[in-house]
Amino acid sequence: MRHLIVVFSLIILGFQANGQLYMAQNGEVSFFSKTPLEDIDALNKQVGSIINADNNEVAVQMRVTNFVFPNKLMQEHFNENYLESDKFPSATFKGKIREVIDLKVPGTYAVTAVGTATIHGITNPIEIKGTIVSKGDQVSLACQFDIKLVDYKIDIPRIVFAKIAEVIRVSSKINYVKK
Amino acid sequence: MKTKILFLFGMLCATPLLGQNDLLTMLNQEDAKKITYTQATFKGSRFINGQTVETIAKKHINFWISHRFGALNSGFMDNFLGLDEAKIRLGLEYGLSDVWLLGMGRSTIEKTYDFYSKYKVLKQSNQMPVTLTVYGSLATNTMPTGYSLPSGNIMRYENNLQRQTYMGQILIARKFTDKLSLQIMPTVLHNNKVESIYFDNDLYSLGFGGRYKLTNRLSLSAEYYKNIVDTENFLKTSGTAYPYQDSFSIGFDIETGGHVFQLHFTNSKGMIEKHFISQTTGTWANTDIFYGFNLARTFSLEPDKKNKK
Repeated sequence: MRHLIVVFSLIILGFQANGQLYMAQNGEVSFFSKTPLEDIDALNKQVGSIINADNNEVAVQMRVTNFVFPNKLMQEHFNENYLESDKFPSATFKGKIREVIDLKVPGTYAVTAVGTATIHGITNPIEIKGTIVSKGDQVSLACQFDIKLVDYKIDIPRIVFAKIAEVIRVSSKINYVKK
Repeated sequence: MKTKILFLFGMLCATPLLGQNDLLTMLNQEDAKKITYTQATFKGSRFINGQTVETIAKKHINFWISHRFGALNSGFMDNFLGLDEAKIRLGLEYGLSDVWLLGMGRSTIEKTYDFYSKYKVLKQSNQMPVTLTVYGSLATNTMPTGYSLPSGNIMRYENNLQRQTYMGQILIARKFTDKLSLQIMPTVLHNNKVESIYFDNDLYSLGFGGRYKLTNRLSLSAEYYKNIVDTENFLKTSGTAYPYQDSFSIGFDIETGGHVFQLHFTNSKGMIEKHFISQTTGTWANTDIFYGFNLARTFSLEPDKKNKK
């Protein structure tokens, strides 16, 4: 019986150590490409993310195929030709918030996440500025940054070059819940 | 002993949670639990003559222009290897939803109108091995009565009901790798009136199709229909050989933004099931084959989201 208590306390200890994690399953990431010929935008509403409030580490993961375009043919080209989502199914970010903040304390924080982004199988260092609003057990993050297609070896054929911008503006809005 | 095992079990439960080093690994584990659907098993909604499991997106329109030139063996001086003549089919498809489409077309051959619908029942995913689509069509022949067929028979119609042909297909496909997708299609075709008493009104056929992606924008595709016909019995009862062949087509799909071009060789002159499954007369052995192309242009009727805002 005493042993059982030890076992259960170990399990509980395990869960308690998890108390500082903020998790999100349905974060939103969208991107926008603007050229004189064509505006392209797409939205992914199934972005997963975790923030560890102990060390302020952040991870974001999304499936490339979950980006929804108003034009479905464009969506297919995006997956088949540009991002090659069969070969590289997901896009990720992994990094750390540079500022010394405690997310468990409610408030609004301007933050800078420094880390690496992996898109199209290519990993590059990246710095993302954003805002975090904490309500204690819920945290929301909003940020915007630019991605250069060349950095991630996303080839645009010359004939459609004029229709797709070289720099894509990415916006993100993620609501986390404490786990 | 039992408590030791329990203790170990407790440790095991505790350790992965204590060590939260890799947040990305955790996210990937969460992601693996979700259903992820296979995308773009085929480039277009049709292989060459027949249909693929693909439907078109909601509120999208596909405009098909299909050409088949004359037979390659029809002579250079007489027919410029077939390029002097062409049979055409014009078609329109509309996506009622992402899995359901309606379509219609008009073929030069036998002045035929066709109406069809395709519904995607199962979608291949990490939990489902295949995509399954059901497909049905109606073809209406509007030729003047008493015209002669390539087989030599004369076709006479007494009423409009006799001009109808019905076709049902189950399309089952699997994307094996990002390059290779294969499909089988059991088919039943019913002619309300057949050209002579020796033909059955019902024709059963088993189709096979596939595509292999050579590059991101170029793929090789082929399709074959094996008709289940007792040709020996046909010869015995009618005294003539069965006039029709199994259909085989091979070609390339070239994709440029917004268009799909399909260039191919086929022994079928017709572009709807009634014609290419049940009335193929060409044979590959005699180079009695036809060069052709299909062109599909997709239009989106989905209102632009930015304009709404």
